[in-house]
Amino acid sequence: MARAGSDDRVSPEKWEVQLRKGCLELAILAALWGGRLYGLEILRHLESGSNLIVSEGTVYPLLSRLKSLGVLQSEWVESDAGHPRKYYSLTPLGRHRARDMARFWEGFSASLSQLLAPLGKGK
Amino acid sequence: MTSSSHSQQIETYLRRLRKGLLNMREEDAREIVEELRSHILEKAAAGGELTLAGVNSTLAALGSPEELASQYVTDDLLARAESSRAPWVILRGVFHWATLSVSGFLVFIVCVVGYAFGGSFLIAALAKPLNPRVGLWMLDNGSYSLALGMTGRAKEGRELLGWFLIPIGLSLGGGTMLLTTHFGLWCIRRFRQARQSLGVAGQ
Repeated sequence: MARAGSDDRVSPEKWEVQLRKGCLELAILAALWGGRLYGLEILRHLESGSNLIVSEGTVYPLLSRLKSLGVLQSEWVESDAGHPRKYYSLTPLGRHRARDMARFWEGFSASLSQLLAPLGKGK
Repeated sequence: MTSSSHSQQIETYLRRLRKGLLNMREEDAREIVEELRSHILEKAAAGGELTLAGVNSTLAALGSPEELASQYVTDDLLARAESSRAPWVILRGVFHWATLSVSGFLVFIVCVVGYAFGGSFLIAALAKPLNPRVGLWMLDNGSYSLALGMTGRAKEGRELLGWFLIPIGLSLGGGTMLLTTHFGLWCIRRFRQARQSLGVAGQ
């Protein structure tokens, strides 16, 4: 018999948050596809280029995690702002990973859109 | 509020963050603090000057320094455990995970029991040539005890394996240690992948 556990009672808002968080890595890799950016630039890029609401306290540890996995590399660069900035860029492994993730995402979203099409017609 | 008190507020936040990063390598911790200092200064002074509202909103967006530090420390400990493969490093990483979730606690318990069991047999096998009274003893009350030959209680029982304790202890102990290590690493890898895909601290 199916049991309705606490995990099954996920509110739409919680589901949305999980979905956004799940896309965060791909969004960061995509933001860095065009070249190196520092943390705040990545955040601004994500905010302006998508409706991902990104917590700053989540992005910095994630950048560090991606760096430790060899997906990103970083370098400190002096700036006019009076303090150095830590720039991130994709490693060859990161570019490969970004391409793989984007390919999967395209296929996945296309098939899901097909599945969701009847919902739109029923409005 | 003056600009220096804003700076003081930032320094207090960074000091608390640095305190939470105590278990990390000095260089890594320093880099994290410097990166966040750079972020705070730039974002809080977006209008050209540090303002109280700017500093407050920037620090609030980053969240509590202790929670932020905990995310870095968890990642660091798990990454070190995965690359080192040493039992104590794995235990340390899993112990930190245990403080975050029930699944971490269960993995920690399994690892502790596995390492304790395997370690006991290994130590007993290695100690046997030095003290022949070391062994797997069956006590008079029917219970089994490892290495109790070194205590007075062994007089009440009999030793079961004799010199076979050495090959048995080495293979059983080594095998259990190896299995526990593989189990711990497998769990850590899965946990890291889940954190990776969700971009979150706990699971």
